[in-house]
Amino acid sequence: MSASRAGSKKAGTGERFATTAFLLSAAAAIGLAIVYARGGNVPLEGALILVSFGALGAGLVTVAHRLLPAEQYAEERPPLPSSEDERQAFAQDFDRGERVARRRFLVGSLIAAVAAIGAAAVFPIRSLGPSPGTSLERTPWRRGRRLVNEAGVAVAAAAVPIGGLVTVFPEGAVGSADGQAVLVRVHPELLRPAAGREDWSPEGLIAFSKVCTHAGCPVGLYQSRTHELFCPCHQSAFNVLDGARPTLGPAARALPQLPLEIDGDGVLVARGPFPEPIGPAYWNR
Amino acid sequence: MLGLAGLGFARAGADPSDSAQPRQRGDIQALYLKDCGVCHGSDGRGTRQGPSLVGSGAAAVDFQISTGRMPLPSPHAASVRRTPKYRRDTIRELVAYVQSITGGGGPAIPDVHPRAGNVARGGELFRQQCAACHAWSGEGGALTDRKAPKVQPATPTQIAEAVRTGPTNMPRFGRAAIADDQLDSLVAYTLYLDNPRDRGGEPLWHVGPLAEGAAAGILGLGGLLLVSRWIGTRA
Repeated sequence: MSASRAGSKKAGTGERFATTAFLLSAAAAIGLAIVYARGGNVPLEGALILVSFGALGAGLVTVAHRLLPAEQYAEERPPLPSSEDERQAFAQDFDRGERVARRRFLVGSLIAAVAAIGAAAVFPIRSLGPSPGTSLERTPWRRGRRLVNEAGVAVAAAAVPIGGLVTVFPEGAVGSADGQAVLVRVHPELLRPAAGREDWSPEGLIAFSKVCTHAGCPVGLYQSRTHELFCPCHQSAFNVLDGARPTLGPAARALPQLPLEIDGDGVLVARGPFPEPIGPAYWNR
Repeated sequence: MLGLAGLGFARAGADPSDSAQPRQRGDIQALYLKDCGVCHGSDGRGTRQGPSLVGSGAAAVDFQISTGRMPLPSPHAASVRRTPKYRRDTIRELVAYVQSITGGGGPAIPDVHPRAGNVARGGELFRQQCAACHAWSGEGGALTDRKAPKVQPATPTQIAEAVRTGPTNMPRFGRAAIADDQLDSLVAYTLYLDNPRDRGGEPLWHVGPLAEGAAAGILGLGGLLLVSRWIGTRA
């Protein structure tokens, strides 16, 4: 008698709590809609979502714990073992033993199945796409193509100060992923060009592919005092004075150098394409 | 020299008893020898302690002095932003003096108009040209020998000077890299970065997605873990 009264009192509190929680949740959700409609305030919206879902959850938990009947039910399970007849039939089948009349045909068909599966597995190789051919070795750079900046404006030699840095593209291919290059200017007497590259850097203007030879990130950081280009992804450093030889980090190959000259209008032009493929090393190197 | 004479003249006008230019120049020379000449040489051509100032330009000298990077408090101190040591007009005279003893030349102090710039366009330029070292938020970032500093606080002129002169290890961005009107937009954007509108809520010191992901993971997943444990103990 007293226990049931206590139980109903408990249910009454639970009901009040759950109702309050649901109303709070609704109020927070409406508040969220109003805040969002009035232009939004991210932290407040987050707090309102928290209150709305939190109160909804608290209410549902209360309903489940206090207001739903809590008796235990047990459902009888049907018998699991097979019937005696089924077991005898199986034992008979099992005892009958092997009765394969056309053994060679069976083995032959097995080989055919395995071979067919193997052949079918070769076909997805075609889905890797067409052969790259020589496309990895070609960029838009050609002899006589002018250097332009991101805005497509031709780069005049006089507009690049000593210590200066410009990201350049081949004219007509602004934004080209494999044509992007970094142009820097250093005191010409500091440069130590490799044999055959002495005339590739007029007036100390020298350009390299911007694609890192390690993993292809843009080598966009330049420390003008140490003359080092620096890759932001894995901290490879390249010495500009030594033909962008890697001095630090995982890159193993120098950045390909773009041969430059200055045309009659004082504008920088390429003397030719990059002498070697740009970007990360691949299988035949 | 003309500018110097003009300055001396203005000062003379304000104080008639001041015997104008010679004494003015003597004062500024004494100041130069005391604070700068020890390393840069009495003629500005450098010593073993410090580099030559020839051809560095008014913009570079003004940047170094007005951001308090120079004079260094001690010969081996790091060149970082400090409270400037001199007043604005002293800095102007010192810049003119350095130009007069080194023969002038180099980039002039840029004339920058951030109000004429476009903040959105400046943002694009910043991400293309500056963010690699100074981070997307202008907070700076690590390089091989030192850190690229924060871009703020700085005046519009100081930002433009840094872009054009490349202080310390920073490359110089000439007009081929950033045109004058683009510089206005770029400076406008760096001013915006001083007080950005963080639409995503708490910016977490603008360190970027790593910090944000870590906070979301630790707080969110940790909270969920605690709540599920609490539910488990109650069940």
